[in-house]
Amino acid sequence: MTFTGLIGHVCMFPLRLIINACIALRISPNVLTFVGVLINVAAAWQLAYGRFVAAGFIMIVANIFDFIDGKVARETHAETKFGGFWDSVIDRFSDIALFIGLIYLYSSLRRTDYVMITALAMMFAIMTSYTRARAESLIAKCKVGFMERPERIVLFMIGAFTNRMAAVMWVIGVLSVFTVADRIIYTYRELKDARPEPVA
Amino acid sequence: MKQAVSLPARILWNAFFWTYERATWQYDVMVIAILAFVWLTPPDWLGDPTASGMGPVGWLLRMLNVEF
Repeated sequence: MTFTGLIGHVCMFPLRLIINACIALRISPNVLTFVGVLINVAAAWQLAYGRFVAAGFIMIVANIFDFIDGKVARETHAETKFGGFWDSVIDRFSDIALFIGLIYLYSSLRRTDYVMITALAMMFAIMTSYTRARAESLIAKCKVGFMERPERIVLFMIGAFTNRMAAVMWVIGVLSVFTVADRIIYTYRELKDARPEPVA
Repeated sequence: MKQAVSLPARILWNAFFWTYERATWQYDVMVIAILAFVWLTPPDWLGDPTASGMGPVGWLLRMLNVEF
C-alpha cells in the first residue's frame, strides 16, 4: 500500500461512521451538499480575518459533508442527475468562497502581489473544473492533470494549519495551469484521433 | 547516451502531463515534492504576507552555523 493510500484508508474509518449515521437519519444527500457550502463560507470568513487554524478546523468539517454526500446518495440509491449537477455547482461556490476569503485577507494587508497570485490560482482552479466538464461533453473521459479538487482542499488545510498559505497558493496556481493545459492537450488528441476519415 | 538524455525529459513530461491515479507511487512522490516545497521553502523567500522567517531551512542553516 502506498503512503497516500494508507492515509485514505485510515481516514475512511471515521467517515464510515458518519456515512452510516446520515443513512440511519435519512438525511438527503442534496442537503448534505448545501450544508457543506455554508460551512465552507464560514471557513472563508475565518481565512479573511487571518484566523487560519480556525479556518482549517472548519474546512475539515465542511469537507466531510462534501465527501459523504456522494457516498450517502450511492448507498441509499438516491443518485440523481440533478444531484450530480447540484454537487458540481455547489463545489464551485465552496472553492471560490475560500479563495475570496484569502483575497480579502491579502487586500486588507495591502499585498497586491498575493491578491493577484490568489486570483490567478482561483481562475485556474475554476478552469480545471470547466475544462473537464466541457471536454466530457465531447469525449468520454478527461481525467488527466494532478491538481483536482481533493488536492486543492487538502492543500488549503495544510496551508491553514501550518501557516504556509502563500506557498500553497503558488502550488495550486502553478499545478492548476498544468492541469488545464493537460486537459486541453488530452481533449485535442482524443478529438483528433476520433476524427472520421474524409469521404473519397 | 540517448537513453540518459531522454529519461529526465520523460520524467519531466510525465510530471507535467499527469495521467497517474491517486494512491500510486508516482502520486506519493508528487505529494512529497509538494509538501517539501510548502514546508521547507522559507516564507521570506516567497514574501509570505502572513508568515516570516526562514522556516526549517533557516533552522538547518543555524545548526550548521552558516551565515545568511
